[in-house]
Amino acid sequence: MTEKAALVDITKCMGCRACQVACKAWNDNSGETDTRNTGSYENPPHLSASTWTRIEFYEIGRNGGVQWYFRKHQCMHCTNASCEAVCPTGAISHMGEFVVIDQNICIGCGYCALACPFDAVHRDPPRGTARKCWFCLDRVSNDYEPACVKTCPPGAIEFGERDELLTAAHARVDSLRNNGHPNARLYGENELGGLHWLYIIDGPPSEFGLPESPQLATNALVGQWVGGLITAGVLAAIPFWLLFRRKRELEESSRAGGEQ
Amino acid sequence: MITWGSPIWLYLWLAGMAGGAFFAAFLVDRLMGGTQKALLRIATYVGVPFAIIGLILLIADLGMPIRFWRLLAEFDVVSAMSMGTWILFVWVAAAVIMIILWNIDRFIPGSISIDRARPAVDLITGALSWIAFVFAALLITYTGVLLASSNQPLWAATILVPSLFVASAISTGLAVVIITALVGRSQAISRRMIARLSEADAIVIIIEMVILIGFAIWLGVSAMGGATEGLKLLTIGTLAPAFWVGVVLLALLIPLGLELSNWGKEIKGRAVWLAVAVPSVCVLLGGLILRAIIVAGGQM
Repeated sequence: MTEKAALVDITKCMGCRACQVACKAWNDNSGETDTRNTGSYENPPHLSASTWTRIEFYEIGRNGGVQWYFRKHQCMHCTNASCEAVCPTGAISHMGEFVVIDQNICIGCGYCALACPFDAVHRDPPRGTARKCWFCLDRVSNDYEPACVKTCPPGAIEFGERDELLTAAHARVDSLRNNGHPNARLYGENELGGLHWLYIIDGPPSEFGLPESPQLATNALVGQWVGGLITAGVLAAIPFWLLFRRKRELEESSRAGGEQ
Repeated sequence: MITWGSPIWLYLWLAGMAGGAFFAAFLVDRLMGGTQKALLRIATYVGVPFAIIGLILLIADLGMPIRFWRLLAEFDVVSAMSMGTWILFVWVAAAVIMIILWNIDRFIPGSISIDRARPAVDLITGALSWIAFVFAALLITYTGVLLASSNQPLWAATILVPSLFVASAISTGLAVVIITALVGRSQAISRRMIARLSEADAIVIIIEMVILIGFAIWLGVSAMGGATEGLKLLTIGTLAPAFWVGVVLLALLIPLGLELSNWGKEIKGRAVWLAVAVPSVCVLLGGLILRAIIVAGGQM
């Protein structure tokens, strides 16, 4: 099987949120109970264990005016997935290019939620496990596109071979740059070994709530262990060796000197 | 959204204290030529229940506590939580066996003498204490690596969280040994030894302060998105009162001032409470607040 992916063109998204509804309907996820107005038309206010995708609203100042953008947010299905790396029970794994959580193995420790650079994994208190977008693997493995892609009215989301999507995305970025969007760029081609949700964005990633250079949570693991153990070694040497061994030796030598 | 709440920072505090107490007591005993076994016993007797309570909190915090056994069904060197579970398991196992061997006379009927086996028992206890020492060092490091190996800027923007937690674990470990020796009125531990432990804590606190300053500077200059916001949250944001009063004053400056003011002095009578017990209590509370604000702050 060749590598599949999805491409979101932010310049085409109209913020209808049909993808959110399709996701909930296909995956039988319940609605959110916390629907307070937080000063934005965004709804629900954040991703959760039962909201696997949502549209984020961004108002960006451009050329003296304000440009309104919408970005679909969900698990990016990273090639180098932090959630998979930190999972202590092996519940999170790649099935092909997609990252899935085995609900029969997950212990609900929440480590994956804290390791994800995109805040896309969440613990589900009623179920007790972590849950997230699974790329509609039941649909994709039967040659259907994911529910959110299928429903997108303006065609802002495309699903297909990753290589073909990248070629199309580069062409679209070039076209945008030549037509009044000089900061247009592609996000996800190389980040974390390559994401399986690619984005055409009209500006720097930080303007769209995306980390500029997302890191694998375990990247600095060796340095963290070594740093901690070196600190333990320094603390063993300075107060303990100095105060206990060194003093004992000094006391013993002075006692020996006194006896002579 | 808070994923790890109070059970986790309590667990990190208890596990750190357990490992830190054993680490410190083992070093003192070995460096003093094996003459401070009473200290090692206090650290072990206090550390094991602390570690087990911490483990119960950790299990209670799981979404599926009944599947806890799965942590021991996997051994993954890349996952700090997997490694931490094994480290805690080995440390508790070694410490429990040490406790059993120290009290082996009580488990054997009086008619059976184990005098002939005594050298072997002592050899095994000595070997286990070395194993427990290595795993105590790993345990106190793991409590920081668990947080640092994530994508929360306050925890992951620097590699100093493990170092900070190591220093704090040894400081709180010394404090719990000192308080237990004082409250238990242990005859085997002299006032002079308690004063010296307090002096060791002063040096640990100075190193902890240096690490904390380095941590703050690193956060301030880090290119990781959210790192400077994390620093602001700690120093001028909603967690600032807890940081300045709970960590800077309670965990560091007050105990350091009291410990330095009594450096080298002979502490007599009730003066021991102000000179040694008060700073130790401050260190314990400050260590708890440090973990609480780092764990909570990383998720805000």
